[in-house]
Amino acid sequence: MAPGRYPDLSTEDLFRRVLRGAFSAWPIKPQDVDGLLTHPSGTIAAYDIYFHERLVSELGIRPSFVETLNLGGATYPAMINRAANAIRAGQANAVLCIGAGKFTKLGAGGGEMMARAISDPSLEVPYGTWIPALYGLLASEYIAEHAVSAEDMARVAVSERKWALLNPHARMHRAGAIRIEDVVSSRMVASPFHYLDCSVPSDGGGAVLVTRAELGRKWARQPAYVLGYGEAHLRGRVSDPGRLTDTGARVSGAEAFRQAGMTPKEIDVAQLYDAFSITPLLLLENLGFCEPGAAARFVQSGAIDPGGRLPVNTYGGLLSFGHTGDASGMSLVTAGAFQVMGCAGPNQVDRAERVLIHGYGGIMFDHATVILGREA
Amino acid sequence: MTDKPVPEIRGMNRVFFEGCAQGELRLRRCLDCDARFRFAHEWCPSCWSQELGWEKACGLGKVSHYSVVHVGQSDAFETPYVLALIELDEGVRMMSNVRCDPADVRIGLPVRVTFEKRGDVSLPMFVPTEGGTWTRQ
Repeated sequence: MAPGRYPDLSTEDLFRRVLRGAFSAWPIKPQDVDGLLTHPSGTIAAYDIYFHERLVSELGIRPSFVETLNLGGATYPAMINRAANAIRAGQANAVLCIGAGKFTKLGAGGGEMMARAISDPSLEVPYGTWIPALYGLLASEYIAEHAVSAEDMARVAVSERKWALLNPHARMHRAGAIRIEDVVSSRMVASPFHYLDCSVPSDGGGAVLVTRAELGRKWARQPAYVLGYGEAHLRGRVSDPGRLTDTGARVSGAEAFRQAGMTPKEIDVAQLYDAFSITPLLLLENLGFCEPGAAARFVQSGAIDPGGRLPVNTYGGLLSFGHTGDASGMSLVTAGAFQVMGCAGPNQVDRAERVLIHGYGGIMFDHATVILGREA
Repeated sequence: MTDKPVPEIRGMNRVFFEGCAQGELRLRRCLDCDARFRFAHEWCPSCWSQELGWEKACGLGKVSHYSVVHVGQSDAFETPYVLALIELDEGVRMMSNVRCDPADVRIGLPVRVTFEKRGDVSLPMFVPTEGGTWTRQ
């Protein structure tokens, strides 16, 4: 569904809206689905971790495999893997994977609620943690090591806006192009991030159906095949020891490439989780698309733009499509799958045989990489 | 107007905050493998030993990461403030605020611990070891 601000809809309503969209788009009936993976419904304040039960009831399905799971922004690439494993193990044939969410507002205690969800209540929260500031800590390490400038980060936001201008579903579709100067002159939120370096708070969601290959060929003109997957969890607090920029993406990416029998050079399109403009730079390096320190120049060259060498976040990303709270990582998965399936509309890139999708949760704590392709 | 969050004293943080009240920054040390770490673990995160001691940190360290925060966690925080990770001389990393002119903060800035009273709790904060004339609370 298109991201927006839907104050009258609960997260459960958003799930239902996503499902109605899926029913219209997919040629399937309740008896075709025998697996279900969902994010909890609700918000940081109160999650329903039994939400799969509600969906089983509302959908009228009788699955042999269900789970309510949350790995933050890594949830949705991880769902692809959990579903594929269940299918390989003979536990299911067609697994519905779904997420919907609302981005918590900062006012009215929202900032502290966000802080408590992601930082330690006595070691971190009292110091005024909240998400942009925590990413700012990580960014300070990267910037100090590689002399990355505010303009380099801004260039990521400029590129994602270009993609969003093509995508009628993106929050910033009609907001007009932005220039590097616009980003670096927007107000400072938490160094090094200006307002336009931050993702757009939104409500929304999405769904994908993971099936046996033969069912995929029956139900889709061009299915997307799961070619490789990797996952890593190297830390759980931002003040844990070690380098913050040595993320689990190195591990998860290497494993996904190993399984797919591919190198980064063979990837046509990458969807890289982008809560802030700096993270695609870091992920381009951690996943092996660029040498350490080389991502800024790569991005400045236009390589990730429409028509570039490696299109990145081809639907506008969290920075310009919208960050839909707990469902944010789903937009990367659906946009990646659409590219492979050739149904990305005005955002379709000419060559999208092999697409890499990377999601992470927390302050780059949980990492999941999946590679999709046109041929099994 | 909300208040700044105050740590709740319970379980494994009690000895740490008792130390803070006496002007001591306390670290945990593993009696089996000698690893040093914060009070956030009930066992040694390196070897899982439960034979742990406490030791007093010298209170000196360096800024390893920082963000100058202009939009705060809540309106209880006067902005801008410096959120930082401090690498203590003992090799342990901890989060804190650096009380200095935000324009002066940099990675590698030498800092020393000080304590701020918040509610009934003394909270470790850091100031630059040299040239600090910053007085804002």
